[in-house]
Amino acid sequence: MENNIVEDVQNARGDKEYSAGGAKDKDKEPRIIAFVCNWCTYNGADLAGTSRMKYAENVRVIKLPCTGRIDPLFVVEAFKKGAKGVLVSGCHPGDCHYTSGNYHSRRKYTAFRDLLSYLGVDINRVEFSWISASEGNKWVSVINEFTNKIKLLPDNSDIFSKK
Amino acid sequence: MEKMNDKLQNTAKELLENKEVNLIIGFTKGSNPLRMRSVFITDPNDVSKLSFNAHCVQDLAVFLKKPEVKKFGKIGLVVKGCDEKAVNTLIQEYQLSRDNIKIIGVECRGAVKQNLADKGEDSVKQSTVYDKCLVCEVHTPLLYDYLVESDEPAFEINGDIKPYAKIEELDAMSVEDRNMFWQKEFEKCIKCYACRQACPLCYCTRCIVEKNTPQWIETNIEETGNAQWNMIRAYHLSGRCIGCGECERACPVNIPLMLVNEKMARDVFEKFGYKSGVDINAKPVFGTFDANDFNEFIK
Ligand code: SF4
Ligand code: SF4
Ligand code: SF4
Ligand code: FES
Repeated sequence: MENNIVEDVQNARGDKEYSAGGAKDKDKEPRIIAFVCNWCTYNGADLAGTSRMKYAENVRVIKLPCTGRIDPLFVVEAFKKGAKGVLVSGCHPGDCHYTSGNYHSRRKYTAFRDLLSYLGVDINRVEFSWISASEGNKWVSVINEFTNKIKLLPDNSDIFSKK
Repeated sequence: MEKMNDKLQNTAKELLENKEVNLIIGFTKGSNPLRMRSVFITDPNDVSKLSFNAHCVQDLAVFLKKPEVKKFGKIGLVVKGCDEKAVNTLIQEYQLSRDNIKIIGVECRGAVKQNLADKGEDSVKQSTVYDKCLVCEVHTPLLYDYLVESDEPAFEINGDIKPYAKIEELDAMSVEDRNMFWQKEFEKCIKCYACRQACPLCYCTRCIVEKNTPQWIETNIEETGNAQWNMIRAYHLSGRCIGCGECERACPVNIPLMLVNEKMARDVFEKFGYKSGVDINAKPVFGTFDANDFNEFIK
């Protein structure tokens, strides 16, 4: 399991497998990286898996302790390595395992999204959600909707992708 | 200016003589009369070097972050209103103790753009001063221990010049066009980090660009790393930048960094009603939160 994730991340990084925006990769499926917190969203995704719910296979999950640990640099790094969409997801307000990591994160991402957009990155490529451990079906719908949205976006390059 | 300089020098002299401070940081005349430079004074007999005029562009608060300055303990700082906000932010962020600083605030009527001064411009008017001077709300510093009033009249603003006009222009563009604009700008960056060195609030002893396990930001000059650096610098200064403009002035390739800084300052004010460097007792905007914060973008 862990190994697969590592491999997937490496693949998402390697330009040979997939790179956002490159014409030759037109027919390749867009890759989506989901940074999720350990306590809520990861368990929600796990529940979706153990309940054998199907969802878009474009997503690769990276687990972190808390949304407060998901530095906006991670998002940029994912873009740089070729991801077309990035999801940040954690516990609902009030439910953070560390009390307030998600509140701080929400503030920071509010500003960060505006900065990204101002610098010319399509803000539709970044999604943020609150998904609890019991919301396997919310995970499925968030991933599916986001994947559909990402597929419809043009393959424009951004300032972080190599030309 | 004579009256101003007298008061400045007397204040400094008194502070040094009474051992209330061990060091005064202020401005002095450079070899070019239209360029002022920083001066560090420890001897009360040297205060005659101190001087102030419309060419005092540098934000001297930048020195407060240097270990070689910190070791002086109690410091007196000559500072304009805009730059004084950096002192407030440093206090808010526990980088400076209010007890260790004597703020010699000068009432400022505007600073002449240095590139114009270098061509001989000496008059203070809306077409010669920095954009920040056109929107300045702090001609008199918000916080000071001593105030040196200006003996110059305020310049007139008639609205002909729109400060930071490019921001609205960029906002109105499509993302692709914005992307092209910034790509062109960031391509020029040579990663000299002068923007960081000149900033009074970029005080990290180990900046993100120096962290190499992992190497977040590529050290060579290539477009992705350049963009990443410029993005992260702006992000780290969001809600903290006080708009002194030193980063942009220091940039050797003229990247309009203030367009990002000012945009983020407006954004933080709009979203959280916070202005940086205004109140030393306020919590830094990203050091706190509200349960009812902006939530619209979250599923
Ligand atoms: S980012 Fe630039 S304008 Fe803002 S405080 Fe630092 S030097 Fe001044
Ligand atoms: S760019 Fe960021 S990490 Fe570097 S000195 Fe400035 S605030 Fe610190
Ligand atoms: S001062 Fe200009 S060229 Fe130097 S690192 Fe900053 S943005 Fe790049
Ligand atoms: S632990 Fe889930 S967001 Fe903090």
